[in-house]
Amino acid sequence: MADRITLRRILKLLAISAKMDLVWLLRDTKYTLAGICADMISNIATVSGVFLIAARFGGIGGMSTDEVLFMMAYSTLVTGIFIMFDGNNIHVSRMIGRGQLEHMFIQPLSLKVQFFTSGFMPFSGGINVVIGTILMIIAVGQLGLNITPWWVLSLIAYLLTTMTIIVARAYLVSSAAFYAPVTCEEISTTVIDGNWFLSTFPLSGMPRFVQIPLLTVLPEGLMAWFPTLALLGRPPLNLTALYPMFFALLISLLASIIFRRGLNHYVKKGSNRYVPYGFRR
Amino acid sequence: MNKYIKTARLSAGEKTNGGILYLMPDVLIKICTLIPLIFLWRVVMSSGVQVGMSFEQMLSYTYVSAILADMLVVKTSASGWLSEGVLLKLYGRPLPVLSQLVAQTIGGWMPMLLLFSLPMALLAPLLGVNLVPATPLFFISLLLCISLGFAIDVLFACLSIKLRNMSWLIDRIRVAVVTLFSGTVIPIQLLPFGIDEVMRYQPFASLGGASLSIFVGTANAREVIALQIIWNLILWPAALLVFKKSQEGMVSYGG
Repeated sequence: MADRITLRRILKLLAISAKMDLVWLLRDTKYTLAGICADMISNIATVSGVFLIAARFGGIGGMSTDEVLFMMAYSTLVTGIFIMFDGNNIHVSRMIGRGQLEHMFIQPLSLKVQFFTSGFMPFSGGINVVIGTILMIIAVGQLGLNITPWWVLSLIAYLLTTMTIIVARAYLVSSAAFYAPVTCEEISTTVIDGNWFLSTFPLSGMPRFVQIPLLTVLPEGLMAWFPTLALLGRPPLNLTALYPMFFALLISLLASIIFRRGLNHYVKKGSNRYVPYGFRR
Repeated sequence: MNKYIKTARLSAGEKTNGGILYLMPDVLIKICTLIPLIFLWRVVMSSGVQVGMSFEQMLSYTYVSAILADMLVVKTSASGWLSEGVLLKLYGRPLPVLSQLVAQTIGGWMPMLLLFSLPMALLAPLLGVNLVPATPLFFISLLLCISLGFAIDVLFACLSIKLRNMSWLIDRIRVAVVTLFSGTVIPIQLLPFGIDEVMRYQPFASLGGASLSIFVGTANAREVIALQIIWNLILWPAALLVFKKSQEGMVSYGG
């Protein structure tokens, strides 16, 4: 029988994941530290490119160098939160494609709760949250922003919205893995990781036919650029500052419908990925 | 030679076994990154800051970088040879391992060259992109870049042998560092604070960024090629030596 899910229960489940992460850090410290360094170097290399261009050219498309730094800080925070909650449960096509949902079916918890709580890695995955926070403090100081509780709440709301869009899009495309497990096993990697660099581009000054698709069909502009300008008090393209929230709601609904359909297909057809002696096809 | 061509063919076939449709997300992502990147350069170059490069040169640089991406920073299957069972395949065939890796990698380039690079090259004149190299020395530089890319890849693969189950982490660090230090996305000469002067002489700078700067005519071709030859002469013997010593330490744990 499935457990009753309360906030306390969710926190306990997150704590279990966090504990396992800590145990990993303590038992295999060398490997975990290497992982932390890899996350840090990878993110710094990604965001520093755009920042260095801004520094060289004195800003990008009407955004000053400090504003670009602010955007890179936001992007680093998103990367950090993403890594902290992603133990393959956001790269979900990998789990579906490899037939690993079967492992989840035998747990006395709903899939939703397992997806939300299973990949929490605050110790090994939190380094970019720390770096992002430091960069954010520096950028805010350079820009002389007036920080109020409302502004901090807005920042948190935008970060949550960005994460919702990332997760919803990952689940939307990963639904294809229910129907084509081998071919689409890594489709979430292609969509999430393949576009990460693009999400660090400041779109200011670009023509609308580039900006609009990047705020709709391929929402990389919502990963850092739009939230940055909204937090600086000038949301782009005369859109409401709440546009990312509306978009997140829409894509979540769509992902929910498509993912459920895929799951229904999966429970009827199953997965053909494993041969009886354990190897993956 | 025939056996290597067959290996390359097998490798090209492997990429399309899941159907051409499977490669389409990668093609789309390449296009969707290239277009905003071109406009990003248009925006920054219109600021009027003198960087020793015109917008037309920058456009060609970015475009060629995208269509020759696989060659400008070589990546073989060796980076995952411990965890993905590649080892068994390579050592089970009566061919030298490194030569197989080269043949496999070149074969693996083919589907993307046909599906992305060729159509984009044909579209280039319509988009106003000049795809004629400033000097024929570009082709020599490209060959040296590919050769150096293989040497660097072998060195990283040997590092993954040494560190055993860290191959994924090594790959992650390598992609990030090489992307920035090779100048394939952001030309090294555009880096501020004097970083460009320091970065010019490190080995990764002799990869794609070197060939691209010769292509658009912003670098002294002879100097760049000389540097590429020097790095090839240093890193190939090192790669062969390290590979020879690493072979016995290989432990395959995947498949």
